[in-house]
Amino acid sequence: MITPPPSTLYEGRQGHYAGAITRLVAFGADVGASWGLYTLGLGAVSVTVALATGRTFSVGRNQVPTLIVLVVWEFAYFAYQWALSGKTIGMAVLGIQVVSADGKPMTPRQAVLRTLALPLSVAIIGLGFLGILVQRERRALHDLVAGTAVVYAWDARAARLRWLARQAPVASEGEGKGGGASVLG
Amino acid sequence: MSPNPINDRLEHMAQSIAERVARLVVDSIDLNAIMEHIDVDRLVSRVDADAIVDRVDVEKIIDRVDVEKIVERVDVEKIVERVDVDKLLERVDVNALVERVDVRRIVDQLDIESLVAQTELGSIIFKSTSSVAAEALDVIRAQGVGLDDFFARWTNRILRRNPESLPLGPPALVSPAPEEVPALLASPAPGDGQ
Repeated sequence: MITPPPSTLYEGRQGHYAGAITRLVAFGADVGASWGLYTLGLGAVSVTVALATGRTFSVGRNQVPTLIVLVVWEFAYFAYQWALSGKTIGMAVLGIQVVSADGKPMTPRQAVLRTLALPLSVAIIGLGFLGILVQRERRALHDLVAGTAVVYAWDARAARLRWLARQAPVASEGEGKGGGASVLG
Repeated sequence: MSPNPINDRLEHMAQSIAERVARLVVDSIDLNAIMEHIDVDRLVSRVDADAIVDRVDVEKIIDRVDVEKIVERVDVEKIVERVDVDKLLERVDVNALVERVDVRRIVDQLDIESLVAQTELGSIIFKSTSSVAAEALDVIRAQGVGLDDFFARWTNRILRRNPESLPLGPPALVSPAPEEVPALLASPAPGDGQ
């Protein structure tokens, strides 16, 4: 039986500034997802070129074009998703969302600005991300540039209720055997 | 015309006499008295019923029976009312009944795909699988929030910052009632053409 995290973690946090670890994991997931998709696309192009022309497509011989494609792809991956819903795949999984600094939904312009400023945060040995820990509003460098903030978007309280509902029959069975109370903690 | 008229006349006379005699004999017979003398049981015991039944064409009889007409005249409701269902069920050996059911054959006959597509079974399966995914997500997110709190606590301690003085979130999302926040997060961004 998996013991649930303390109930304090399930307090309603929707709209609160998201913390460093959640954001870092979401960013890592996005980097992985975008790289995975890019590699898949590159593989598809390689196969298509080989089938159409009979010549093999080598990334080593086409470094500049592939780099340009990579930059454009990464820009499109982040900018498009942020402009569309304020969250990327990784952010959606971790339940966080980008909003304007005042809490209103982010504009497409802010999405583009944030995407352009993101490499700055990465470039200075990742120091741009330090703002998530030390800044009062947990805003990274690219957030300050774009006038955005990242907040928790998942309903933690509903998650807690879902968890209780799932455990209810098991808990009542366990109570009969004297073990239900510890599960619900 | 008969060749011998005397013979004809004699024959006619004999027939009339015979008829007359037969009528007199019949009239004088007391059938009840005879019936009293007959041992019916003994008579029946001498009858070969099987041989009679063998000679009966049952199929022909059944063909002549109008079953529909009989059924129409049966008052099913009245019969059902008289049936003691509880008593009937008590006598039914459910286990023996279930043992005789070929479940595999029934399952083979089911069109599972159309069942899933056309009934709520599909949505139930979807809900059960999606709840597993939701559970996994909830756990991952909750763990993330726990680690976020841990790092925030230590950062505040190092920076000697009072956590109470820090804003919880953007003004537009923290000021309204908690139940209004999901709608605010889902609302379209200004100037995005929606």
